[in-house]
Amino acid sequence: MGDYSTVQEKGALAVSFLTVENIVKDFGGLIANNDISFTIEEGDIIGLIGPNGAGKTTLFNCIVGYHRPDSGKITFKGKDITGLKPFETNRGGIGRTFQIMKVTTGMTVLENVMVGAFCRTNDRNTARGEALDVLSYLGLDAVKDYYINELPIAIQRKVGLARALATKPVLLMLDEVASGLNPKEIEEIVELLRRVNSVKKITIFLIEHIMEMVMKISQRIVVLDYGEKIAEGLPADIVKNENVIKAYLGEKYAKGL
Amino acid sequence: MEKLKDALDFSDFSKAERIGLIIFSIFLLVFPWLGAGSFTTTVMIQFLLFSLFGMGWNTIGGYGGQVELGKAQYVGIGAYTVALMMVWWKIPFWISMPVGILIAIGYSFIIGYPLFRLKGHYFAIATICTSLVLKDIFDNWSLVGAAKGVELPIHDHPDFVYMQFKSDTYYYYFIMVLFYIGLFYMNWFRKSKLGYQLRMIKDDEDAAESLGIDIRWCKIKAYSIASAFVAVGGGFMAVYNLYIDPTSVMELSLSIKIALMAMLGGAASLWGPIIGAAFLVPLDRFLGSWLGGQKGLTGIDFMIYAALIMIVSAYQPRGIWGIIQQFRKRGH
Repeated sequence: MGDYSTVQEKGALAVSFLTVENIVKDFGGLIANNDISFTIEEGDIIGLIGPNGAGKTTLFNCIVGYHRPDSGKITFKGKDITGLKPFETNRGGIGRTFQIMKVTTGMTVLENVMVGAFCRTNDRNTARGEALDVLSYLGLDAVKDYYINELPIAIQRKVGLARALATKPVLLMLDEVASGLNPKEIEEIVELLRRVNSVKKITIFLIEHIMEMVMKISQRIVVLDYGEKIAEGLPADIVKNENVIKAYLGEKYAKGL
Repeated sequence: MEKLKDALDFSDFSKAERIGLIIFSIFLLVFPWLGAGSFTTTVMIQFLLFSLFGMGWNTIGGYGGQVELGKAQYVGIGAYTVALMMVWWKIPFWISMPVGILIAIGYSFIIGYPLFRLKGHYFAIATICTSLVLKDIFDNWSLVGAAKGVELPIHDHPDFVYMQFKSDTYYYYFIMVLFYIGLFYMNWFRKSKLGYQLRMIKDDEDAAESLGIDIRWCKIKAYSIASAFVAVGGGFMAVYNLYIDPTSVMELSLSIKIALMAMLGGAASLWGPIIGAAFLVPLDRFLGSWLGGQKGLTGIDFMIYAALIMIVSAYQPRGIWGIIQQFRKRGH
């Protein structure tokens, strides 16, 4: 009977969109991710929160392939993607943005997004057309001929998003896409992400420090602290969870809500 | 067809650039009738040859941003293939040259595969080393003439089969045709998928990888293209000089000059290598014949090249072309 139940469990996991199983990442004694497991279903918007140094970006890098986890398994759409290179996971349908976008001077916004579109096509005109589509979808037509270093940070982040979207991902992983933005810009990006999620049917997994945003947009939240998963659940439950309050949110936040 | 159209399409350039290209082309075409002496013709041939080298280097070094200082080994491969096949088996240039290109491409894959595990300075040093090793092998390998080099058999009658001519004018037009093939290829290349991907790699490798780009494979491809370019130049050197030895076609200074042409003129731009060669080839001639001949001043030209590399990379990474563009921007 015991065996049967594990088989059933595995079967149930296989249908999940993204499954992270017992991921461990050890940077020579500093355990950045310790035995982390969770699943993401297609169409979800999932938030990943936790204090600085909790291992959020490391977890992202393990999933996308910048780091190879020391143990554990990552399954995406039923396929084992553990240890694949970032370009392979991207071609498989995972797009990501970076916490710190390198401010580069070599390529215009349009060219940047075209590189993303070249992921799925070899033809320059097709790539250009698709890039222009993505840019107008994000309202970036006006800046397409600017270089990234000439743009304000809110626009830079949108360019990073456009670049990732141009690769036609089915799972979009956003690393602090809203940090450094003012409340109005955050409002915009929340609106945008909801649109991407509902219209383009792209599953979203995001790291965020701005609680107002992550609570509003996420359907479920995973909380990390010192490399461990300390909580997972609905936003309303997370804000009441004692461990999360102690580790991250603080008493004030819980009372204020 | 589409590719050919892209290669001949300069429509994204400014009007001044297009007019410049036309004037430059007319000048190149009529140059032999301008009554220039043989010395000037030699300098012009060198200029076109080094422009071709620089354009090749520009793929990996300019667009890809990888400081590559070992191109001389591929000049050598091209030159030796043409020369040896002619000496051993009397094989015409038009067969030995493609063979030389294929060998250069094959060799560049073998070298490039491990080399592109390295980044930055380590990569630059490794490229120098591989080139030096190949030169040392050729210096001591008696089958290929060792340090004595290879002399090509001189034919009594000039012909297009072995590409041997009595007059430099023929060589001039020959290298000019190769130069234009290179120029049109590069014009296509900069608009190609690989061109875009390389520029992304140069800007931000992590981001490039997140956009589905296989960085190492892209670099190897660009490295092979660059190698094929300089191998063609090497083949030309063999039939033009009719004598090659490891020092003339595989020397470290040749690698550095090739990289410097493109860097000084403007890496990652179509005109960069041409502008760079227009400056450096005459300078090289001048320094080589004047300063190099003076007692105690041998080698001073290398000091000047080293200084140029440092100045360019520190103050104007986009070279002379970058300066021109800055002025144009201010003018607007």
